[in-house]
Amino acid sequence: MRRPVTDGVWTRRAEWGPAVLSVLAGLALWEIAARLWTIQFLPPFSTVVQTAVRMTLAGQIVGNLGFSLGNLAVGYGLALVVGIGVGLGAGRYRKIEYALDPILAGMLASPKLLFVPVLYVMFGVSRGAQIAVIFLSAVFIIAANTMSGVRTVDAATVQMALVFGASRRQLFWKVLLPASLPLTMAGVRLGMGRAVAGMITGEMFITLSGLGAQLRTYGNRFDAAGVFAILLVVVAVALVCSRGVRHVERRLTRWAEPTT
Amino acid sequence: MIEIVEASKTYAGGSGRPAILALDGVNLTVRASEFVCLLGTSGCGKTTLLKIVAGLESPDSGDVRIDGRTVAGPGPDRAMVFQHFALLPWADVLSNVAFGLELRGMPRPEREQIARHLLRTIGLEGFEHHHPRQLSGGMQQRVGLARALAVDPEILLMDEPFGSVDEQTRRLLQDDLLRLLERARKSVLFVTHSMDEAVRLGDRVALMTPRPGRILETVDVDLPRPRPPDVDRNPRLIELKEYLWARLRAMHAATGD
Repeated sequence: MRRPVTDGVWTRRAEWGPAVLSVLAGLALWEIAARLWTIQFLPPFSTVVQTAVRMTLAGQIVGNLGFSLGNLAVGYGLALVVGIGVGLGAGRYRKIEYALDPILAGMLASPKLLFVPVLYVMFGVSRGAQIAVIFLSAVFIIAANTMSGVRTVDAATVQMALVFGASRRQLFWKVLLPASLPLTMAGVRLGMGRAVAGMITGEMFITLSGLGAQLRTYGNRFDAAGVFAILLVVVAVALVCSRGVRHVERRLTRWAEPTT
Repeated sequence: MIEIVEASKTYAGGSGRPAILALDGVNLTVRASEFVCLLGTSGCGKTTLLKIVAGLESPDSGDVRIDGRTVAGPGPDRAMVFQHFALLPWADVLSNVAFGLELRGMPRPEREQIARHLLRTIGLEGFEHHHPRQLSGGMQQRVGLARALAVDPEILLMDEPFGSVDEQTRRLLQDDLLRLLERARKSVLFVTHSMDEAVRLGDRVALMTPRPGRILETVDVDLPRPRPPDVDRNPRLIELKEYLWARLRAMHAATGD
């Protein structure tokens, strides 16, 4: 009775086993396939790791990674503020929702690479363009999820707050906002993945900076081991970031997890 | 005191269906410290009437007055207990009970002291930091009741509050409610579809007919208070229940349900 079992370590421990196993199996498959058939442009995993280590030791990773992550932090931070703000507004006022719905749906479906020429013209080759790509990649999914979160708040809960004298402000801060958290946080987590992808897109095609530029250089040289080494770093970054967000999500929305 | 005078309410019928006359000239008075049960078949407008008194909805015509003043919205003189509890799932029991006081700007130490006191009287001591989903339905409704009593309203509005718990729990909750009201008298408007519950709890029972929603008659429950747990065996209670059932059965026959 004190605390449901699923809240604690058990879920995480139960998740870790299969997760680690599946990743190891995938990597083993990669290694074996690459060694058996020597596929062109697919170096074995071990070679990629060696390359990644060599590049890191030669100082080719950390500096670029730092630069990329700085842009990621700014772009994703802006996307959080705007996405959650717009989502809450749209969830609360039907008219804003109706106005935004087609735009959100359209933007969610469109590849952000389409905006590259526009951003290029607007910002030139600058950090601004880089931050804009990251922002655009993450903001729509965050807004859409936040909006659904507010919309699905139980009508009886709202009536209860009104009967007990909630002002509009109180209704918003003490009911709508916390009630929408599970879906909002799902959007925040999904937005993180999209932001990392946007970061690489921007660096490869607009700013030619950071890891993305490096990726492009190796690609042009047909240096497959280099390309995969960078990808390995990017994937690791994405995993760490989304794990971090997931951790915050769990803490904030423990009350909404299923009991069984 | 609640005075409902000639209150009518029509809901627009959706997509080609006719408009529904939910309330048709309803007259009802709940005197200070009186316990009135609204008894009727489902869909007879009981809950609509309660929401109008709560200030969540307004009548199309007629007047609802609390102590002589027309109701314009929710107010601190009224609190409500909901059929499906309407607790905040992210907040613990203590915060849920203190929620109304929090909305009124009472500082945390004071409101939590009041909430703790109520939890003791209602038998939920030790559950202060549990979350609603960790509690049984009966315990959740005790929290809902404590939340309503915490703001110390003159009027308690109850919308089938014990309708979604099992019969044994319902009996216990009914006894708890009566015990609490002995200590702090309130005017109560209590919506139910159970004849048994209406006569066990009420000073008067208002019988409502559906479509259009009207008060057919009000019946005095002339049983002494405090009502003992074995009040069910009281011949007068049985007689009243039989009478109410006869009237309700006639209503069902008339509406073809």
